[in-house]
Amino acid sequence: MIALLAHIVSGLAIGCGFALVGSGLVAVYRVTGVVNFAQGMFAVVGGLCASAFLGAGIWHGAAELLAVAVAAAVGAVTGLLALGRPGTAPMTALIVTLAVGFLAYAVLVAVFGDTPRSTPGLPGMTSLLGVPVRRHHLLVIGVTAVVFLALWLFLTRTYLGKALTACASNPYAARVTGIPVARMAQFAFVLAGVLGGVAGVLVAPLRPMSFDSDVTLIVHGFAAAVLGGLTRPMVALAGGVLLGVVEALVAGYGNAAYQTTVALVVMLAVMIWHAARRPSLHQEVTV
Amino acid sequence: MITVEELVVRYGSATALDGVDLEVGAGEMVALVGPNGAGKSTLVDTLSGVVRPASGRVSTEGRFAHVPEGRQLFGDLSVEDNLRLGAWKVRDRDPRHVYGVLPDLEGLRGRRAGALSGGQQQMVAVGRALMARPDVLAVDELSLGLAPKIVDDLVRHLVRLNREEGMAVLLIEQNARLAFEVCSRAYVLEAGRVVTAGACDELARGSAVARAYLGGGVAP
Amino acid sequence: MRSAGVWAVLAVAAATLALPLVLDSGGLAVYVQVAVSASVVVGISLLMGYAGQVSLGQAVFFATGGYTAALVSQAGLPTLAGLLAAPVVAALCALVLGLPLLRLRGHHLAFATIAVHLIFLAVVAQTDALGGSTGLQGIPLLSLGPVEVSTNQGYAYVAWAVLAVVVVVARNIVRSRPGRALRALATSETAAASSGIPVGRYKLTVFAVSAAFAGAAGGVFAFYIGFLSPGMFPVSMSITYVVMAVVGGLGSVWGAVAGTALVTVLVHYLGVLGTLGGMPDYAPSVLTYAVYGLVLVLTVLFLPHGVLPSLADWWRRRSGAREGRDRAGEEEREAAPA
Repeated sequence: MIALLAHIVSGLAIGCGFALVGSGLVAVYRVTGVVNFAQGMFAVVGGLCASAFLGAGIWHGAAELLAVAVAAAVGAVTGLLALGRPGTAPMTALIVTLAVGFLAYAVLVAVFGDTPRSTPGLPGMTSLLGVPVRRHHLLVIGVTAVVFLALWLFLTRTYLGKALTACASNPYAARVTGIPVARMAQFAFVLAGVLGGVAGVLVAPLRPMSFDSDVTLIVHGFAAAVLGGLTRPMVALAGGVLLGVVEALVAGYGNAAYQTTVALVVMLAVMIWHAARRPSLHQEVTV
Repeated sequence: MITVEELVVRYGSATALDGVDLEVGAGEMVALVGPNGAGKSTLVDTLSGVVRPASGRVSTEGRFAHVPEGRQLFGDLSVEDNLRLGAWKVRDRDPRHVYGVLPDLEGLRGRRAGALSGGQQQMVAVGRALMARPDVLAVDELSLGLAPKIVDDLVRHLVRLNREEGMAVLLIEQNARLAFEVCSRAYVLEAGRVVTAGACDELARGSAVARAYLGGGVAP
Repeated sequence: MRSAGVWAVLAVAAATLALPLVLDSGGLAVYVQVAVSASVVVGISLLMGYAGQVSLGQAVFFATGGYTAALVSQAGLPTLAGLLAAPVVAALCALVLGLPLLRLRGHHLAFATIAVHLIFLAVVAQTDALGGSTGLQGIPLLSLGPVEVSTNQGYAYVAWAVLAVVVVVARNIVRSRPGRALRALATSETAAASSGIPVGRYKLTVFAVSAAFAGAAGGVFAFYIGFLSPGMFPVSMSITYVVMAVVGGLGSVWGAVAGTALVTVLVHYLGVLGTLGGMPDYAPSVLTYAVYGLVLVLTVLFLPHGVLPSLADWWRRRSGAREGRDRAGEEEREAAPA
């Protein structure tokens, strides 16, 4: 029983990372229709920068915030490239974000080298309902909860957040109303950078991160987000947490080598089931 | 308030508008009529800046607002949020002045816009455009798919705004009879060109327009 | 002036045959790599340009072909049988995977194929019969009848022969009636479906054909390198194939070959530059990734039809309305997505 709870808590923590990456995908997709392949890279940028800043002697807290700011800036640059030309088709923009991913590999390897890095998270253990858990796991869960609450309040309670939702709901009407859709899309990329950066900063102490960790992060983030049709951040939270827990249980009670496989099979099944049920929802995207 | 000169708009190789001239003066109420696919909506989309002209000139004076064809609300948001988003370009986001003009909206303020009836949605669309406190308002296919009584009601509100507050109106309609009843001047658009323009009562007497758009025996 | 095209093809063929005799060992390695990768990229170009589908997991079929060739040869069967089985098994895998996966479109398919790629790597690493994560060692050399292919020159000819077959098959598909129907598919699936084209079956066929191309290339690769392990087929490998296809021009068969050659040669020689004295040890990988990224960004933003079709376009405009244009070039241009 204690082992089970410990697995669940560690699964929740890593799942929070997936959820944050997934919500970044959602932020961009609902406004632009673009699946941002560089989203996992934002997290890697966050994690690696945090480790570098901490190594340079910057205090905990400040180092992490600075790392998130760098990720946000990278998000802005990605947005400029992906949406730079008016009328870029979503699938072309996806390919541009693939290219941004490669460019980021080059920069990341040049700056940080190609060995995995980790950051010291919150040290020590604590007890939760009699179960010993890492304090950093609880920090991750707590921060993620706060970030999602803030995201929800921003989208549903602020004028800017509602304008973002309006762009997602009806881009034509948004333009007719005078909402600057292109600027809002750009803003969505910055938001995605922040969410990815937070994910990276939180996950780096749990899993050592190297420049190519983005693939697993983006695939898990996509798996989390696709449960909500890529448009609902709160479903991405549920999806990410679910994936994290399932993986932790597979690793704990089954074969750790298959933990990712199980999650991916679930994602494929969900996508195929969605497509079979509501074929019209999958809009046509041509290259 | 609206000046359109020699406007040409193309979608790929298809020409949607081919040398259109049109003008709406301050305080005027002008109709733009024509059959489906004549390019009426393209013209307003060009005024909104959603569509770019291939050549020619469009300009609007003062604040311009646009009620798009088919309502085009933000379906996931509440009525009040839809209204407030209409005020993106102006500072004042208080919808009270719109509730003053369209009192029914106040009772619907918390409802999800996507769940409303067609008439209610059209009212929200008009309200959203009025939030921009426009000096000139383009209304695209107000009557489409609505019961005559609801249309009459909405048109009465527009006429009042026009008479009492001097808001210029460009009324884009397939239903020419309705447009001619309330407007002073009209343009007839066919296949991307203005084929006739003039005072509504004269146009209504002119046999060609009357036969094509007003359906035979219409008293002027 | 049809004969001009014929002469051009003959000249290219002669150069292709002559190059292995004059290249140094480094150059020869690149030469083999271009042919092997181009066979995969032609398939991706068809898949993306003609069926409007994105696969970010094409290296799976490449690896499937490699493992098939290796296992067949290690079971004591003729190595040629292994090479022939490689595309067949890869195509069968594509049929089985494609049935459920091709219901997905656009981004969903892209991520589904990445997922398949990751699952494939995990399964291979756990399967002892495939050598697990350490891999399969001691794959025999390829024998064509009594002749054992033991030199890099020999593999260069084998690889380019496979690419020639791939190109011929691909051009025939493009020119066939289904091929023309497929172009409609890439533009608008709904329109194609409503005009009576069996969309699902065509998509699946192209998917299987592209997998067969990749499988054949993987077979050659297995004999050429002599060992296989899951670490040799990272997800980024699949993505580099897409880069090459986009650079060459989607839907253009010759463009796929040109794009592959351009990217491979650039990456190789910049990599060599990176190993020169005074460069930090991470320089080669930095330069490699930078090339992929830059080439892709520049192509998508400035030559959206790809390098070869854009070049053909420019050439045609330059030579104006001159009669008797290169027929092949004309078809290439038509093949590029609008």
